[in-house]
Amino acid sequence: MSGPLNGVRILEIGDRGEAAGLLLAAAGADVIRVEMPGFGSTGRSQGPFVGDNPGPERSLHHAYFNVNKRGITLDPSTADGITLWRRLLERADVVIDSTGPGALDEFGAGYESFRPLWEDGKLIWACITPFGLTGPWKDWEVNDLIQIALGGPMMSTGYDDHEIAPIRPDGEHSLWMGGEFGAIGIIAALYERENSGLGQMVDCSIHESVSCTVEGAFPNWEYAQRLVQRQTGRHSSPARTAPWQFLAADGNYVNLMGGGIPRTRGNWKELMDWLDEFNAADNLREERYEAAVHSDPMVATEERAHIAEVIGKFVTSRPAEEIYRRGQGLHLPWAVIRRPEQNLDDPHWNARGFFSEVEVTGFDKKVKMPVAPYQFSETPHAITRRAPMLGEHNYEVYHGELGLDAMQLVALAGSGAI
Amino acid sequence: MAETSANRGPRPLEGVRVVDFSWIVAGPQCTRIMADLGADVIRVENESYLDSMRNGMQVYPDRPSLNGSGMFNNMSRNKRGVTANIWHPGGREMVERLIKTADAVLENFSAGAFERMGFGMDHLRELNPNIIYISISGFGHAGIDTTYITWGPTAQAVSGATVMSGFADMPPAGWGYSYLDHTAGYYGAIALLEGLYHRKRTGQGQYIDVAQCETGMMMGGVAMLDYQVNGREYVRQGNHMRWPATAPHSVYRCSGDDRWIAIACETDEQWEALCEVLNADDLASDPLFQTNLSRVQAQDQLDAAIEKYTRTWDTRELMYVLQAAGVPAGTAQTSEDKMEHDAQLRARDFYATADHPYLGVRRFEGLPLHLSATDWELRGGAPGFGEHTEQIMTELLGYTADEFAQLKAEIAV
Repeated sequence: MSGPLNGVRILEIGDRGEAAGLLLAAAGADVIRVEMPGFGSTGRSQGPFVGDNPGPERSLHHAYFNVNKRGITLDPSTADGITLWRRLLERADVVIDSTGPGALDEFGAGYESFRPLWEDGKLIWACITPFGLTGPWKDWEVNDLIQIALGGPMMSTGYDDHEIAPIRPDGEHSLWMGGEFGAIGIIAALYERENSGLGQMVDCSIHESVSCTVEGAFPNWEYAQRLVQRQTGRHSSPARTAPWQFLAADGNYVNLMGGGIPRTRGNWKELMDWLDEFNAADNLREERYEAAVHSDPMVATEERAHIAEVIGKFVTSRPAEEIYRRGQGLHLPWAVIRRPEQNLDDPHWNARGFFSEVEVTGFDKKVKMPVAPYQFSETPHAITRRAPMLGEHNYEVYHGELGLDAMQLVALAGSGAI
Repeated sequence: MAETSANRGPRPLEGVRVVDFSWIVAGPQCTRIMADLGADVIRVENESYLDSMRNGMQVYPDRPSLNGSGMFNNMSRNKRGVTANIWHPGGREMVERLIKTADAVLENFSAGAFERMGFGMDHLRELNPNIIYISISGFGHAGIDTTYITWGPTAQAVSGATVMSGFADMPPAGWGYSYLDHTAGYYGAIALLEGLYHRKRTGQGQYIDVAQCETGMMMGGVAMLDYQVNGREYVRQGNHMRWPATAPHSVYRCSGDDRWIAIACETDEQWEALCEVLNADDLASDPLFQTNLSRVQAQDQLDAAIEKYTRTWDTRELMYVLQAAGVPAGTAQTSEDKMEHDAQLRARDFYATADHPYLGVRRFEGLPLHLSATDWELRGGAPGFGEHTEQIMTELLGYTADEFAQLKAEIAV
């Protein structure tokens, strides 16, 4: 392994900490996913599946979120399981525990049961839970839809037509936000441990992680008692704003930040030349339109409205990638609205080496995965492991590290402890 | 143990200094996290590259001020601020002396801009051999399209985040704010913390290149695998859940103006409890809705049938009743809901207050985590424009009061 967290041992238990584990594993930590014997994590029953054939070793959710991790099985509700868990904890730097407030302590296996390890010892015990470990909602039943609703992004996201419900963007973003802040808390605690030699508890709330990721909705209420209103494909706002999003000629959409009106007149002539190639400039070459580019964007004028209209009409007549490339060529913040997979062959990401080529169990070729959205000059990421099969590293960990022999492993498996 | 614990500071990043050339949202979000965790974050500002957030969202529109933005106050609380004219030799020297005292330098200008300002990695290393330099930009500093201009919505569009929001037979709903500006800041904080940890252990600094679009692609990882393995193109799901496919899983209208509740049943027991709470015997007995499979297959009919019942409920009341019955449910909360009526956020004091000399005592969004021994802390609001220039020059960088006054007179600082 390489990466900035090389040498850090992390145990990950529970289903809501996968993103945190992934980020830390990509940075070189030795993350061991601890799953229940038999059926494993819930991500294994979550599609899509290789060949649309459901099964615990064919989940693409699992294949993605567990890259670079190792995997063992352990049932912490059994006496033998707790004995092994203690031995693993004593060798670990960090626990990512997303099983829920007090859940593991029901078996004597949680943060209360092992308090001395993190309060007086070197262990960092990080809980990532829907609401944090305290408070009146801490035991509520939620999933990503509910968290995105409660945290605020939903009421900022949707369509101009408010007869249509507000929207949860797809992609389990609440688990990402919680995972990102969980990782932040963990690395901060690791850093602090270099000074003090001591571990501690990290209590990360997904609800709070989502709640602080709403941008203008917060200051609008705190400073002006205004609520923002959702709008189609653009920022929510206390008052209606002009559209940014247009359907291009090839069926893909484009985003023209700010409605397509350039922020400076630097490339106005080149932009007009481009429009003229397609007889689309209308009367924009009149001086008053170039002058309007520099006018205050917050003040609506006839000229600005006309520029937006002409450019909006133009972009619907060309393919989205062309609008993107040629617009950016003129230093305009114009973008194609891509599906995720439309980035796989983009020369830029491949020139950066962004995608890691990783195996997927049950599939015969390596696939490209987005795993580390940053590049380190001295501690580069190395994505070397596909996601583990259920219990794949039991022998390596329980025999190789803890010294259990074959007979002991068989007995532990037979009783369901591993 | 007592020996080592004597080294325990009140906050995890005590003693870390970050020289912060950030602006807009992505960079300030990163350094906000660092400052919350106890780092001494010093914003370096100048009129020639003024952070437009200082002008935005003026709290007192009739008397606008560089210190009058609520957005800026929230994004840059806990930081200190200096002004410096890096095109004046005296101003540049002040910034270079500051960098010599730092652990890390951060900027989120367009790729190449910081180098043109004279602060490429080579020069930063000359000033401070073990420095960590982190840049956050739309497309990163390495690659082909590095000059492309990105705002949050641009990055969301390219990365796939926009397309993954909304109904399949309608345009993308996208995100109602610059989600990826915040996400890029979070990833910036992760990367910078990792760099600091490595430096703490080895003494080695480094350069870290964060690309905002790449942070957005993480959330499309499973869709990318599905395409490569199964050949399936991504299709928007509205508020339904495709993987795993469970129903009901949607957002339903409640009584009042634009009030909604999200409900997601993952088991038959939760479905039965939902019907009981809604007093919806017709749904409970409808053969179309008996199993998860049948509910998923008839999901649009199911949603319409449920909404007939939810329309008469107050969303918050229904949320509490459903949660008491074990049904995953939550109000689609506005900022008013979260800041005035959310019992959970209140119990955890998520919106704590701090004073700002111009804006007064205000609430701030908390950092969504707590550390048991060295917790983060809200110490104060955002710095006024140039508020700490004199303090930092005279107390930290060894300038005399006269030298400061001279440089100020020359508009170098």
